[in-house]
Amino acid sequence: MKQLTLKYLSFLLGIAILTACEDVINPGLESAAPVYAVDAWITNSQQAQVVKLMRTQPYFDNSLPPGVSGANVRITDNQGITYSFVEGANAGEYIWTPAGNESFGEIGRQYTLTITINGETLTSTTEMNPVPPVDSITFNKQLGNQFIDDIYFAEFWATDLLPVGDAYWIKTYKNGVLLNKPSDINLAYDAAFSRGGGFTGVTFIAPVRTSVNPFDEDEDGAILSPYVVGDSLYVEVNSLSEQAFDFLTEVVIQTDRPGGFGELFSTPLANVPSNLRNTNPSGTKVVGFFNVAAVAGNGRKFKSLEEISRVF
Amino acid sequence: MNKAYLIFLFCLLFSLKLSAEEKVTINGYVKDASNGEALIGATIYVRTLGVGATTNVYGFYSLTLPNGTYDIEFTYIGYAKQVINQVLNSNLRLDVEMIPQGEQLKEVVISAEKEQSLVQSVEMGVNKLDIKTITKIPAFLGEVDVIRSLQQLPGVSSVGEGASGFNVRGGSVGQNLILLDEASVYNSSHLLGFFSVFNPDAVKDTKLYKAAIPAQYGGRLASLLDVRMKEGNNKTFEANGGVGTIFSRLSLEAPIVKDKGSFIVAGRRSYIDVLAKPFVDILQDGAKLNFYDLTGKANYNINEKNRIFLSGYFGRDVFFFDGDQGFSWGNKTGTLRYNKIFSDRLFANFSAIFSEYDYSLQFGEDDRDYFRWKSSISNYTFKPSFSYFVNSNNEVSFGAETTYYEFEPANATAASNGVARPLRLDTKYNVENAFYISNDQKIGEVLTVQYGIRYSSFFSLGPGKKITYNDTIPGARRRPVSEVEVRSGDVISQYNNWEPRLSMKAQLSNNISLKAGYNRMVQYLHLISNTTASNPLDVWTPSSDNIKPEIGDQYTVGYFQSFGKNDNYEFSAETYFRQTDNQIDYIDGANLLINEYLEGELLTGKGRAYGLELYLQKKEGRFNGWVAYTLGKTELQVEGINNGEWYATRYDQRHNLKVTGFYEINKRLSASANFTFVSGTPATFPTSRYVVQGILIPYNANESRNNVRLPAFHRLDFSLRLDGKTVKSNGKQRKNTDYWVFGLYNVYARKNPFSIYFTQGDKRVPVGSAINSEARQIAIIGTIVPSVSYNFHF
Repeated sequence: MKQLTLKYLSFLLGIAILTACEDVINPGLESAAPVYAVDAWITNSQQAQVVKLMRTQPYFDNSLPPGVSGANVRITDNQGITYSFVEGANAGEYIWTPAGNESFGEIGRQYTLTITINGETLTSTTEMNPVPPVDSITFNKQLGNQFIDDIYFAEFWATDLLPVGDAYWIKTYKNGVLLNKPSDINLAYDAAFSRGGGFTGVTFIAPVRTSVNPFDEDEDGAILSPYVVGDSLYVEVNSLSEQAFDFLTEVVIQTDRPGGFGELFSTPLANVPSNLRNTNPSGTKVVGFFNVAAVAGNGRKFKSLEEISRVF
Repeated sequence: MNKAYLIFLFCLLFSLKLSAEEKVTINGYVKDASNGEALIGATIYVRTLGVGATTNVYGFYSLTLPNGTYDIEFTYIGYAKQVINQVLNSNLRLDVEMIPQGEQLKEVVISAEKEQSLVQSVEMGVNKLDIKTITKIPAFLGEVDVIRSLQQLPGVSSVGEGASGFNVRGGSVGQNLILLDEASVYNSSHLLGFFSVFNPDAVKDTKLYKAAIPAQYGGRLASLLDVRMKEGNNKTFEANGGVGTIFSRLSLEAPIVKDKGSFIVAGRRSYIDVLAKPFVDILQDGAKLNFYDLTGKANYNINEKNRIFLSGYFGRDVFFFDGDQGFSWGNKTGTLRYNKIFSDRLFANFSAIFSEYDYSLQFGEDDRDYFRWKSSISNYTFKPSFSYFVNSNNEVSFGAETTYYEFEPANATAASNGVARPLRLDTKYNVENAFYISNDQKIGEVLTVQYGIRYSSFFSLGPGKKITYNDTIPGARRRPVSEVEVRSGDVISQYNNWEPRLSMKAQLSNNISLKAGYNRMVQYLHLISNTTASNPLDVWTPSSDNIKPEIGDQYTVGYFQSFGKNDNYEFSAETYFRQTDNQIDYIDGANLLINEYLEGELLTGKGRAYGLELYLQKKEGRFNGWVAYTLGKTELQVEGINNGEWYATRYDQRHNLKVTGFYEINKRLSASANFTFVSGTPATFPTSRYVVQGILIPYNANESRNNVRLPAFHRLDFSLRLDGKTVKSNGKQRKNTDYWVFGLYNVYARKNPFSIYFTQGDKRVPVGSAINSEARQIAIIGTIVPSVSYNFHF
C-alpha cells in the first residue's frame, strides 16, 4: 500500500518539477564471508519440487549463485510423512519427484525442512495454508490520453477466504513466461494489501485484481499495453504463511526500488528476515526462506477486442 | 535535583525582595512609524545608569528606574535612534514610534539587534533571520523561503534537496517545534521540502532557538522555530506581490481604524497547472497539481492597556491524476490573542490556539472499487503568560499552557466489487499541561542569568485500548498479547516531568562575552517516519503506555566577540552536547501506515549529539555576509539495530560549511551568492547478495546500519537583484517600487548525491540465468536551475 502510494507520489513530483538524475556507480563495499542461502518454495502443484542450497556472493558478483553439493535435504510433516530431496544435475539443487498424480503435501499440515551439510543442520517449520479458486479472468480497456495510447489490461476475479489472516502471492505468467521482476511481486493479505484492514471474505480489491499486468516501457519510454490481442495469461495464487508474507513484503521494499524522487521515501537498506536457522547458533548463518504453498490458477487467451468487458 | 529547585526559589525570592525600593516605571510599545508594526527586540537604554530593556514579541517594554531626569535612548537596527529627555517622578506610559532609515548602502543582516547584539544578549544558540535578509539569499527557483534560508545558519541542516523540514544540532525533523504565531505547524513544507509553508510577505520575525529554550516553550527536543506574522500596516494601505517561477503572491495590508487596528491578508498559489491546462488534457479531466496558502492577521487596540490579535493560516498541496485518484495535505492554524497591561510592570498575554494537519489520499476506479483515506492531528491550546518587570535587574515570566490533542491515525473506507468496508483506527485523545516560571536576572556588571523551570504532564485519555505487547528478541516485531478497553475520560497513561532551563552570560568586556546553558526538553508527540526524507504521509503519534516520552538534556558553552570599526564583525564559537533517552527507531520492514499495532513496530534507544559551531559575520558595508561552519556528530544506540552498537543517524554530517555573501554593485543592482559544502551523509550498503525465487536480494552480512558515507555535497547559488527606478522621468519620487530577481541555483550543475540504491535493474531476466546487480546514485537536482521573479510594492 505504502509502496504504491509513494510510487504515485514520486511520479507526480517527477512531472511537477523536473526529473531527478540517476547514474550507475561502482562504490567499494565491505567484504564478508559467505553464508548459506536457501530457496525452498514448495507447492502442491503436480510437479517436481526443488530446494536450492547456495552460498551468498559478493554483491557485485554477477555470476550464477554457487550451489552447495552434498547436503541431505528432507521435509517431514506433522503426521510423520517424509519427503526426501535428491541432488539433481545442477549443484545445490535438491529435487523431490512425485510418483504419478501425486502432489506435495496437504492443506493444514505442518512441514519441517531439515538440511544437513558439513555437520551443520539448517531447519525451518511452516504450514500449508488454503487458497481460494481463481474464478475468472477478464480484459479491460483504458482509454488513452495525450501521453499514453489506449491500453488493454487484465483483471482476475477471486474471493478471499474466511477468516482473517490469509496471505497470498499472486504470480502471473504472460504467454507462458513468469513475470519475475521485483515490481512483479504481488501480495495480498486477506482481500487487500496489509494486515489490520479487516477486509476479509470479499472479492480481492481492485488493485490486487489488476496486479497481473506488466507495465513495461518501450525504448522511447512509452508505456506498452500489458496485453494485446493474441496474448495469454495464467494467474497462479499461492498461499503463504504469515512469516512468508512478511518476508516477501520486505523483499519488495528492498528490491523494488523506485529510483528518482521515490528515493526520498525509501527506507534504509535492511536484511530481509529468514525463517531458517542453524541448530548451532554459533554455526554458519543462513538466509533465505521456506514456504509450502497451496496453489490455484486460471488462464485465458485474449482472442479478440470483443472480449473487452469494461472500458475506463 | 531538589536542591536545584530550592536554589531556584531562593533566587526568585531574592529578586523580588530587591523590588521593594521606591522607584518609577516607564513602559509602553515601540513601533515602526511608517506602518505601526510592533518592533520585536528594540532596545531602551539609559546610558547614565547603564540599565536597559528590550521589547518583547509584542513590542512592549517596561523599565524601572530611580526618580530623576534621564536621556532615554531607543534603538533598533535600520531605524533612526531616538533620544527622549524625560523627567521621571511618577510611572509613565511612553509609546515610541521609530522612523526607518531610508535606502542606503548598508543592509541589515541576520541580527536585527545591534545595540543588543549576540555578544550582549544572554541568549545563546539563537539565530534571528529578519525577512529582509531572507529575501536576499539566493533561492531555489527564485522563491524566497524561510526554512531554506535557515539552513544557511550554523547547526542547521537537512538530509538533502527536496527533503521536508530541517535538522538542528543532530535532531530529527520531528524534534523541532515550529510555531506560527504560537500555533504548532506539524508539516512545514509545500511540495515536500522544496518550499516552506510560510509566506515571506506575511512574516515579520523568525527566530530559531537551538539551545537555552525559554521555559515558556516545550514539547520538542531539538529546537524552537518561532515565526511571528506581521500585524498589517495601521497607517495606510499597502500591497506587496510578485510573480515567480512557481508561485504568484499578493499581500494586502490596511488600517481597520487608523493607528488603532489593522489587518494583513497574504496569499500564494502555484500556477503551473493553470498555465498548462489548455495544453494538457488530463488537467481538463480533473487532474490537479497545485499548492497554495492563505495567511491573515488582524489586530485592534481596544485602549492603551488592551489589545487583541486574530491570526490564521490555511494551506494545502493538491495532487490528483484525475477526479478519483490523488493526494492532498495541509495545515490550518488559528490564534486569538489578548494583550493586557495589568500594571506598569505586569504584562500579560492570553492565547487561544487551534492547529490541524491532515492529509487525504484516494484511489479507485468508480463507486464499486475505491480506497479513500484521511488522517489528521489537531490541537486546541489555551496559554496565559505573564511578564513581571520586577526592577531593572529582574524580569520574571510565568504562565501555564494546556493543550487538548486529537489524533486520527486513519479513517478510511475501501470498497471492493461493490462491498464497502470501513477501515478505521481508534482516535487518540491526549492532554498536555505545563506550568512554568523563569527569571532574567542581572547580577552586577558582568553576570546575567536566565533560569527557569517547566513542569509538564501528558495524559492519554479513553475511550481507547490499553494494549500489552509480548517481549521478543530485540529488533523483531512485537505482537499484542492483551487488550483492555478503557472508558471515555479514564486515564490510559500519564507522564510528568520537570524541565529545568538555565542560561548565563559573563560580559568580560564591552565586546566579549562567555555564555553557558543547560536545558532539559521533553517530547510527548513523535513523528513516525522511517524513510530517508520525511514525507507528507508520516503520522504523529502520542506517548502512551507503550511509548515513553523522549527526553533530551543539552549542555552548551559559547564564546562571543564583536570587533572592527563600529563592531562591524561578529564572531561566535559554540559547542553543544545533547543526550537523549527514548529516541524512536523502527524494526526492519516496519508497517507504519494504518496499523492498529503501530507500537509493536517501534524500537527505542539512546541518542547523543555533539558539535562545534563557528560563525563569522560582517554586518554592514557594501559587501557583507557570513560564514558558518559546523563540526558535528549524531548517533543512536538501539537494541536490535547495528548489533546494539552506536550508529550514525541518517542526518549525521561531519562538516557543514555555509558561506553567504551580499554585494551592492550600485543603488539599483545587488548581487548575492551562497556556497554550501556538507560532508556525505551515512547510508547502509550491502556486502553480499543471494537469490530467492528469481529475485536478487541484497544482504549486509555484518548487520551494520549506516556503514558507509555518500560523497560530499556542495553547491553554489547566485542571484542578482535589479531594483526599479525610484524616481519618475519628471524627477518625482515614485510611490510604487518594484524589483526583479534573477537566480541561478546549482551554478556548476553538480549532481549532488541524495542517495545510492542497489538494484537488479529494470529488465526481466530469463528464469535460471544470472542476475546483474548495480548501484545507482540519485541526484534530486542534478542541473543548473535558472529562475526569474518580479516583485512589487505599492
